[in-house]
Amino acid sequence: MAVKKVIRDAFLIAWLKSIPDLKRQPLILVLLTALSAIPLFFIVLFGGSGMLNAGLVGVIVSSIGFIGISASIQDLTWDRYVKLREMVVAMPVSSISYSIGITLGFLIFALPGFLLFMGFGVYRGMFDLTGLLLTFGAMALCWLGLAVIGFTIATYQQKASPNTLGIWANLLSFLFVFLPPVYYPKEMLSQYGMSWIAYLLPTSNAAEIIRYLTEQTAWDQTSYMYHWIALVVTVIIFAILVVKKARWREP
Amino acid sequence: MASMESLGKKDNGPAIVAKGVSKTYDQRIKVDKKGYKHPTGQCYSCGEKIGNVTKCPKCSARQDRVRALRSVSMQMSKGEVFTLLGPNGAGKTTFLRILCTQLMPSAGDAHILGDSVVNDPKAVRENIAMVPQDAMAYSNYTPWDYAYYLSLLRGMDKETAKAKAEESLKAMLMWDLKDRPSQTLSGGEKRRGLIAAAIASDAPVLMLDEPTSGLDAIGRRNVWSTLRDRAATGKTIILTTHMMDEAEMVSDRLAIIDKGNLITVGTPEEIKKSIPYRYRVIAPENAIDRTRYPEVTKIGDRAVVYLESDEEAIEMVRDMLKKDVHAEASPVTLEDAFVYLVGEAIE
Repeated sequence: MAVKKVIRDAFLIAWLKSIPDLKRQPLILVLLTALSAIPLFFIVLFGGSGMLNAGLVGVIVSSIGFIGISASIQDLTWDRYVKLREMVVAMPVSSISYSIGITLGFLIFALPGFLLFMGFGVYRGMFDLTGLLLTFGAMALCWLGLAVIGFTIATYQQKASPNTLGIWANLLSFLFVFLPPVYYPKEMLSQYGMSWIAYLLPTSNAAEIIRYLTEQTAWDQTSYMYHWIALVVTVIIFAILVVKKARWREP
Repeated sequence: MASMESLGKKDNGPAIVAKGVSKTYDQRIKVDKKGYKHPTGQCYSCGEKIGNVTKCPKCSARQDRVRALRSVSMQMSKGEVFTLLGPNGAGKTTFLRILCTQLMPSAGDAHILGDSVVNDPKAVRENIAMVPQDAMAYSNYTPWDYAYYLSLLRGMDKETAKAKAEESLKAMLMWDLKDRPSQTLSGGEKRRGLIAAAIASDAPVLMLDEPTSGLDAIGRRNVWSTLRDRAATGKTIILTTHMMDEAEMVSDRLAIIDKGNLITVGTPEEIKKSIPYRYRVIAPENAIDRTRYPEVTKIGDRAVVYLESDEEAIEMVRDMLKKDVHAEASPVTLEDAFVYLVGEAIE
């Protein structure tokens, strides 16, 4: 199948998975943006305006992180449930186009909020050009990591009902965004000997990288590199799991 | 087996050739160290009531696997409306999903317009479109979204996709509703929207799994009419149903499948003629001397008596009228033939 067709199909699926919902329920954008921004309100309220940049890192990551894992699980599960996937399998569309399409689909939901908060960060002078580009890179890997984790869960839980998986998806979103060091630095977990948690999740890895890039954390070359490596390894491991288990055609 | 010529249609060659298609599913449910819990408590092969055993004591059939399809072979011609008819759980959907390249057969193969569903699924997918059983429409999608975007996904350019989407939505009487989100449509309208999306694909082979379930009489007739029109343009239509009137009305030929076995293939008329009875009389059960007739089916307080000739049917009705009992005689229906054939297969 020509690469051009794979890319065209991926964008068509992304469009189909996002635009009808956005056109008919645009308020969802407000909800997603607010969900990410609400913790910032409390951080500034209780920590003072000096905490604004620290909180903004969390908001930037959660603008993609909150929807990322949830959307990828729910899209696959609901597509299976309403049989859209069966219709697509019986069409000249590759599984690669479908996966990329779903991944891009939830990015379309997340992008307005992400760009808004990034713009605010740029306005506040948090990023130089290199920092800005590397932040986009870290967030791209975070987005991919969350997508493949979501795909893995949906693939390994094929018999679970969409409602059950929907609840798990939302719980996981909270788990990935609000509990680990995303809105706060990993050093705050050091006293409990738990700062290693920051290396486990794409969201906390991306947040720590942005904190280094925006000089909110004392520079530590080794730790900085480990966070990049952890991000890449997460994507690779979960992508392998999905490829190993997922079947476009049922055996 | 009827050929297309015998139906008064030109035989354009085979669209689908299935040979020895079988599908076996593992059905083991482990309960403890001692063994397995049988999912139904009934032998899959002979129907004997059994406990949690992996082999039927009566027929020795393995119980840890369900044979959803047993070496099914059949051929469908281009431009034909072909119906897979069978009771629930007969294997119709499994067969259709194998043809649609969604499911791998355990054995055998099928070729669609010359391409193997086992070895060349990508080529097969170029030529098919399908609507699955119980397919639902996303609440925010409109019929237009389905028809237009799924056509684009098939590789059509925008203008062609628009033209095909418009044509199919009009054919399915959905044009006026094309921009309404599915959440505002009735169940039947959603179903017609999905069928329109499949028709818009312009695929040479269209596969519809119980397409008219949930549709009202007018909606069903509209679907039948559209499918017949498509077949007249050379498209091959395969559908599954367990509604006899639908199978009789829309099919050029049909196959009866039960418990994974192909029971028979033929035109509706041929299948009706394949049983030894031509007429039936419906009368109150208590007014019938069952010993006089070889085939009587009891339906509540009524009975259906099957007879070989119209003379017998007229005589029986006359007898009933003399007793002042209401009775109706009519030729056997496809449903009668189906019940006879499937019942015989079970025995």
